[in-house]
Amino acid sequence: MLDTFLALLHGVPVSLAVTGLAFALGAVLGVPLVLMRRAGHWLPRLLARIYIEIARGIPPVVWLFIIFFGLGSGIVTLTPFQAASLGMGLISAAYLAEIYRGGFLTLPAGQDAAAVALGMTRLDRLRFVLAPQVLRVSIPPMATFLVSLLKDTTVASTIGVRDVMMLVTQQAQAAGGGFAPFISAAVLYILLSIPVALLARKMDARLRARTSR
Amino acid sequence: MTDLLTNWADWLPQLLKGLGISLQLTGFALALGLPLGLVLALASSARGPALRWPAIALVEIGRGAPALVVLQMVYYGLPSAGLNLSAFLSGAIALALTTAAYTSEILRAGINAVPQGEVEAGQALGMTRQDILRFVVIPQGVIFAVPALMGFAILIFQATALTFTIAIPELLARAYRIGAATYLYLDVLILAGLVYLAVTIPFGWLVNRAARRLGSHLG
Amino acid sequence: MTDPIVSLKGINIRYGTHHAVRDVSLDIAKGEVVAMVGPSGAGKSTLLRAINMLETPASGTLHVGDFTFALDRPLGQKDLLALRRSTGMVFQQFNLFPHMTVQRNISLPQMRVLGRSREEADRVTARLLERVHLADKAQAYPARLSGGQQQRIAIARALALDPQVMLFDEPTSALDPELGLEVLSVMRELAADGMTMIVVTHEIAFAAEVADRVIVMADGQIIEEGPPEQVIRNPSLPRTQKFFRAILERH
Repeated sequence: MLDTFLALLHGVPVSLAVTGLAFALGAVLGVPLVLMRRAGHWLPRLLARIYIEIARGIPPVVWLFIIFFGLGSGIVTLTPFQAASLGMGLISAAYLAEIYRGGFLTLPAGQDAAAVALGMTRLDRLRFVLAPQVLRVSIPPMATFLVSLLKDTTVASTIGVRDVMMLVTQQAQAAGGGFAPFISAAVLYILLSIPVALLARKMDARLRARTSR
Repeated sequence: MTDLLTNWADWLPQLLKGLGISLQLTGFALALGLPLGLVLALASSARGPALRWPAIALVEIGRGAPALVVLQMVYYGLPSAGLNLSAFLSGAIALALTTAAYTSEILRAGINAVPQGEVEAGQALGMTRQDILRFVVIPQGVIFAVPALMGFAILIFQATALTFTIAIPELLARAYRIGAATYLYLDVLILAGLVYLAVTIPFGWLVNRAARRLGSHLG
Repeated sequence: MTDPIVSLKGINIRYGTHHAVRDVSLDIAKGEVVAMVGPSGAGKSTLLRAINMLETPASGTLHVGDFTFALDRPLGQKDLLALRRSTGMVFQQFNLFPHMTVQRNISLPQMRVLGRSREEADRVTARLLERVHLADKAQAYPARLSGGQQQRIAIARALALDPQVMLFDEPTSALDPELGLEVLSVMRELAADGMTMIVVTHEIAFAAEVADRVIVMADGQIIEEGPPEQVIRNPSLPRTQKFFRAILERH
């Protein structure tokens, strides 16, 4: 059991890399997406809405297949690692944009009005007044999302990424069945998500303490 | 473009058959998983630690382990324990376990949202603890949980796509097979994506409506 | 006093270090209507909720109807249920079951607690709805009713179990004044029918008119008690005088 567990550790850097890249891509792309979602004109609002619905409405594994096998058959050839990071990143953008949007909704209406009254430009209001507050309330749900993203990236193994999940399957085949590889994997994923979950809880508590004062 | 549309028309019946299996898996997962989730929800808020701690541990492991790991564990693990199940049954059981772990938390939140005053009213009327649970707490807790449970149903429907890894001929598996035969991966996978959307988007609207209705009912 | 129907002896209730009720003793006769008044935080509601053990006293003796319990050890589940069956309680927030019709709110406890058949329970329910003047609301859900109507339903629900004593915990505090009046009028009728009632209330006018005895509590103790004309019009303690003057000035 311990041997199996140690063997799985070799997949950890790849799993974390896919998760990290996807999260970073999603966190960045989520910003224009949420701005479009809150735009005054209907067209950007509609486009953002369509993107979010489509990205979230199709299972992640289907997205990875579309990107790796679909685009890969003659359009853009990506390595499994690139395809997985890109695909999970594009999905993450939709989820994170919705998290940011939730953050905007918690802002008191007076904040933007006060900045307008001070004569700040639209961009400055966003940068100095709104964005810092939105980011702060968004951090706990972002951390929760990061934990579920780590688990969802297991689908990367289906297009050939050599992550923890891929090694689990190999170990299971080598062992000819049994529960050990899977239990090791479950334990490993839980261990990997604990630091993030603890961080999220701590930030949530700090945030509560600060806003309730 | 016309090529694409004729191909789609050719493939659609195949994919819809796969969708039928995906929906059956979803149905089985919910039918088995929700009652188990309720049991776990009650056990994990029980007073006795002998019941509470194992339940909490089960829920945390079930939520912490990726659905794909659980799926492979049931499919490859159970036979070595002497239990040979069909791929479909393995998939349904695995998804049901994931469902139980997640919905137990949703149901627990719903049960905790039942006002304490109503529990006290039941106590003051001399109702037994079991009767208060059965007639007052559980029915309302379940109602509170409905929108979140519906949202979860969408996620577990999406998770059925994972069962192609254990050779269940559901929607994604069929699309992939057509892709491998025609080498038109992109065209057939996009069609598969559209079929998923045709289920998830309308159902998502229903979830929003249910949430709004519940909100206005309580307000 | 002959044969009190409710008798509390040496009741103490603590929350951690807070001593909410201090060594209170109280006898209440069958058919008596007692109003408990006093500033908020005085321990009135806590004491009332100890009578059906929604609060657990640390020590004392509790006698209700045919039951007498020493409270220095925990009550068994059977005793607890028997005690609660012989008392009816009406809450400030009504606490009707929102997912049940009015009829089911009143009939279900009769079926589960007293083992009545559905027909019998529904017959009792119909009679009680008549009595609280809401016979036409049997099939309505609580959310459709005004607060005053909900509270009258809650009274009917408690009465349906034939309690020997009715406990009212600020029954009109959550209501607009005019809706409070319809609840008070039902309570007045109940008192006239000879029901034993203990009422925690801020409605001094109601206490003056309906109560046989007024009890004033402060800091977890009974500081003054007697007939309403004496306690409300001529309180003996300066503290009680101040309390009633403050209430009269507010109205």
